[in-house]
Amino acid sequence: MSSMSSGRIVGRSTGDRIILVLVIALALIMMAPIAWIIALSLKDNKELMTDMNSVFHAPYTINNYVNILATSSVFRWILNSVIVSGGLTIMTLVLSSLAGYGFARLSFPFRNTLFVIVLLGLAVPEQAVLIARHQLFSWLKFHNTYHGLILPGLAAPFGVFLMTQYFRAIPKELDEAALLDNASRFKIFWKVLLPLTIPAQATLGIFTFLSSWNDYFWPLISGTKKEMYTLTIGIASTQTNFAQSEGLGFLMSQAVFAGAPILILYLFFQKYIVTAVSGAAVR
Amino acid sequence: MTAHIEIQNVSKRYGSLTVLDGLSLTINANEFMVFLGPSGCGKSTLLRMIAGLESVDDGTISINGERIDNLPPGQRDIAMVFQSYALYPHMTVADNMAFGLRNIGLPAEVISARVAEAARMLEIGHLLERKPGQLSGGQRQRVAIGRAIVKEPKAFLFDEPLSNLDAALRVRTRVELAQLRNRVRSTMIFVTHDQIEAMTLADRIVVMNNRKIEQIGTPMEIYSRPASRFVATFVGSPTMNFLPVGLSGENGFARAKLPDGTDLQTAIRLEGINGSGHSLGIRAEAVKLANGTAATTTGKVEVIERLGDRTLLYTRLKEGSVVIAEDVGNSRIAIGDQVALALDGARTHLFNAEGRAWHNEGVGHG
Amino acid sequence: MAEATLSGSASAAKAATRQAVQNVNAPLWRHAVFVAPYLFFFVTLLVVPLFWSMWLSLHKADAFGVGRFVGIDNYLRLFRDKIFIQSVGNTFYFVFLTVPALALIGLLLALALNRKTKSAAALRAVYFSSSVLSVTIVTLIWRIVFIGNFGLLATVYGWFGATAPAFLSDPKLTMIGIAIATVWWCIGLPMMLFLSALQQVPREIYEAAALDNASRWRTLWHITLPSIRRTFVLVIIIEIVLQFQLFGQARLMTQGGPNNVSKPIVLYIYEAAFTKWDLGLGAAASEILFILIMIAAMAQYFISRRRGEEG
Repeated sequence: MSSMSSGRIVGRSTGDRIILVLVIALALIMMAPIAWIIALSLKDNKELMTDMNSVFHAPYTINNYVNILATSSVFRWILNSVIVSGGLTIMTLVLSSLAGYGFARLSFPFRNTLFVIVLLGLAVPEQAVLIARHQLFSWLKFHNTYHGLILPGLAAPFGVFLMTQYFRAIPKELDEAALLDNASRFKIFWKVLLPLTIPAQATLGIFTFLSSWNDYFWPLISGTKKEMYTLTIGIASTQTNFAQSEGLGFLMSQAVFAGAPILILYLFFQKYIVTAVSGAAVR
Repeated sequence: MTAHIEIQNVSKRYGSLTVLDGLSLTINANEFMVFLGPSGCGKSTLLRMIAGLESVDDGTISINGERIDNLPPGQRDIAMVFQSYALYPHMTVADNMAFGLRNIGLPAEVISARVAEAARMLEIGHLLERKPGQLSGGQRQRVAIGRAIVKEPKAFLFDEPLSNLDAALRVRTRVELAQLRNRVRSTMIFVTHDQIEAMTLADRIVVMNNRKIEQIGTPMEIYSRPASRFVATFVGSPTMNFLPVGLSGENGFARAKLPDGTDLQTAIRLEGINGSGHSLGIRAEAVKLANGTAATTTGKVEVIERLGDRTLLYTRLKEGSVVIAEDVGNSRIAIGDQVALALDGARTHLFNAEGRAWHNEGVGHG
Repeated sequence: MAEATLSGSASAAKAATRQAVQNVNAPLWRHAVFVAPYLFFFVTLLVVPLFWSMWLSLHKADAFGVGRFVGIDNYLRLFRDKIFIQSVGNTFYFVFLTVPALALIGLLLALALNRKTKSAAALRAVYFSSSVLSVTIVTLIWRIVFIGNFGLLATVYGWFGATAPAFLSDPKLTMIGIAIATVWWCIGLPMMLFLSALQQVPREIYEAAALDNASRWRTLWHITLPSIRRTFVLVIIIEIVLQFQLFGQARLMTQGGPNNVSKPIVLYIYEAAFTKWDLGLGAAASEILFILIMIAAMAQYFISRRRGEEG
C-alpha cells in the first residue's frame, strides 16, 4: 500500500517502451531536416550541383563557413539584430519593472483604470497598428534607424503585465519593513524588491529578446536598406535566388550560422525560454 | 528613549466597513502592552496604524505628546517585527540589520557597533554573513528582532511574531522575549491571539473584540475580573463554565439558582446587577469533586482530559448543561461515573444577557 | 539615533502645521512617475496607431499622405476584391489545417513525455527546439526539404523511384506544405501548455484511481483527459489567434502563390499597404483581421477567467 502512494503508479511496461520508441522515432524525423541543412552546409557547392546524393558521403568541407567570414553580410545583420534585440530587451526590462512596481505597489489616481486599459492592449494584434505606426515613423524619419526598429516593441503590454503579477506576489511586508526602515519608494523598488524579481527579469528578457530576434514583420517594412537588415530579414533576402542552387552549400551554412546562436542560447536557458514562451501565450 | 503613546478616538474604515470604532487608550513609557483578541478584531490594524502602515480615518495618535498619525512610517521612530519576519531575502543578516541605519545616514562605525551589539545580545553573531534563506525559523525570528533593536526606537511593535514558530520554540522564544524586555528599556506593543503569550508577557493587556476594546488591565485583572462575558470566554483555558441562573438576594449578596434547582451563594453584591438572562460564570479550577463535603450538584462524566498535573472532567448535569471540573493529576474517575461537584461560590462571576459582568468585592480569590 | 530623532521631530512639526494626512496608502500623483515612461510608449505607439488605423481605413491614403474621407469605400472594395475574399478563405483553411493538428499532436506528445525521466526531458527539449528558430530559418529548411529535384523529400522519394509531391508549386498542396512547416515550427508551445496542465492534475486522483484498479486507458480517458479539458480549449484558441496571423511562411515559401491559393490575410495587408501603398485599403483589411482575432481573444479571456474562478 505504501509503495502505491509513494512510488510510480504506472510501472515501466511494454506499452511505455513502445511509446518511448515512437516519440524517439518522431523526434528523429523532426530533426532530419535540420540534419539535412547541416549536411548540405558542409558540402562543396560544385559537388552538390552535379550530385545531390554526395551529401551522404565524404568529402565534407568547412569552406562555406570560411566564406561567410570573408564575404557575407551576415555579420552586419547579426550586429544589427544584437543592437535591436538587445536594446529593446534592456529598455523593456526597465520600463516594465518600473511600471510593474507602480501598478502593483503604489497608489495613484486612475491606477486601476489605466491597468485595465494596458491589459486590453494585450488583445491588440500587431497588424492592427502596423500601418499607422509605419506612417508615423515615416513622418518622424525613423525608418532605417536603430531606434526606429526598437521603439515599437516598447509598447507591448506583456512585460508590464508579467512584472505587475510578479511584484504582487512578493509579500507586502517587505515594503512595509523598508518603509519603517526609512527607505524611499524608489529605494524600496531598487534595493529591496528589484533584486527579488530576477527570475521574472530573466523570463521577460529572454522572451523579449527571442521575439525581437525572430520578428519578421516590422523590420521588413521599417529596415528596408540592406545595411539595416536584421538577421531574420537578411537571411530571408538570400533565399529568393537559391533555386539556381549555385551556392546551395553556402546558403545553408549561412542559415546554420544564423540559427546556431539562438539554438545554443536555448540549450543554456531552456527552462526560462520554455517558461517565457508558454507564459506569454497563456497570459 | 522611550515612548508614551496616546491613542484618542481612533477609527478605521474600509469603504462602508468599520474595522475600528473610536478607540482610546494610553500606553505608558516602558510598558509592555499586549493587544489580545480573536482574528479580525482589529488588533493588527491598530498596531499598523501606530506604525503608519494604515491611515487613521478619525482621531489622533501621539507619542510623547507629539502627534504622529500624519507622519510617514519611517519618521515615527518605531520598529516593527512582522509575523512573517519580512527579512530582505537577498541581503545578509548584517545588511538586513544595517539597512534602516544606512537609510538615515548613520556613520558606518556606529552602524557596525550597533549591529555587533545586537548580534551579541541575540547570540546571532555567527550568522551575520548568512542570508535569511539559510536560517531556521527561530534564527530568522532573532534577526527580525535584531533589526528592530539596532534602530534603538522609542517603541517596538510586534505583530504576532511567535505564530510561525513550532510549539516548543514558541515557548522558548517567549521566555527569551521576556528576558530581552528587561534589557531593552523601551515601550513594547505586542499583538497576539494567544492568551498564554498575553498573560506571560504583558504588563497590561488590551482585550479587543469586534472593532472595540473590551477591557484594559493587568493579566490578573483580566483573568479574575473579566469586564465582559467575551473576555471571560476568551481568556483562560479551559474556557469558563457558564450556567443560566435565576438570582435572589441574601444579606445584599446574590444567590444563584442553578438550572437543576440548587442554590449557590456568591460573594457578588446584588446591588447594581441589572438586565435579564443572567448566567453564572465559574472557572474549572473552582469546580472540584465533593469528597463527602457539601456537594453543590451532581453530574455524569462524559469526557476526561488528562493534562498530567491536573485532570479536566467534562460533566453533564441532570438538566443537560455541561460543567468542566478540575481534579488531581492522577484522578481515578472514569467516563460514565456519576460525580458530586462542589462549586466555590466565592469564585464566581455573573453576566447578564448583554455580556456585562459583576464580580466579588475581594481581590485575592484568583 | 540623534539624527533620526531630530529629523523625525522636525518633520513632525512641519506635518502638524500643514495638517496634511500623510497616508502610506493614499493615491498620490507623484507615484505615477513609475508607470509614466511605459505609458508614454503605450499611448504613442499602440493606442494612437490603433485609432489612427481605424481612421485611415475610412480614408484614401497612400505613401505621400492621407487623402479625402471615403467612408466605408475601402471596406466595400475589399468585399468586392476576389483576392481578399480568397485570402480570408485561405486563412481559415490554414487555421483548419494547423490548429487541430497542433492540439492533437501536442497533446499526444505531452501525454507521452509527462514523466520525470532524463530521456523524457531530453525529448521535450528536442520537440520544443524548433520553436526558437526564426520564421526565415524555418522556411529555408522546409523549402530545402520540399524543393523539386534536390530537396530532402525528392531525394527520399527518389530512393524508391517515386516522385515527391510538389508542396511548393501544386496549387492543391501549397497550403498543406505551409501547414506542415508550421506544425513543425510551432509544436513546442501546445506540448508545453499540455504538460503544465498535466502536472497540475493532483497526484491523489491518480492514486485513488490506482487503488480502484482502474486500467491505464480508463485512467487516461476518465481522469487525465477530463482534467485538462479547459487547457485543450485554451490551446485551440491560442493557436487560432496565432495561426490567424500567418505571414512569413506564406511569403517566404510560396509568395502566396501559385495564383494566390496560399495568400493569407496578413500577406494581403502587407501587399496592399507596403507594395501597392494603398494604405486605406490595407488599414481596412487589418481592421477585419483585428475583429476576427478579437473574437478569438475574447473567448480566451472568458475561458481563462472562468478557470481563475474555479481554480
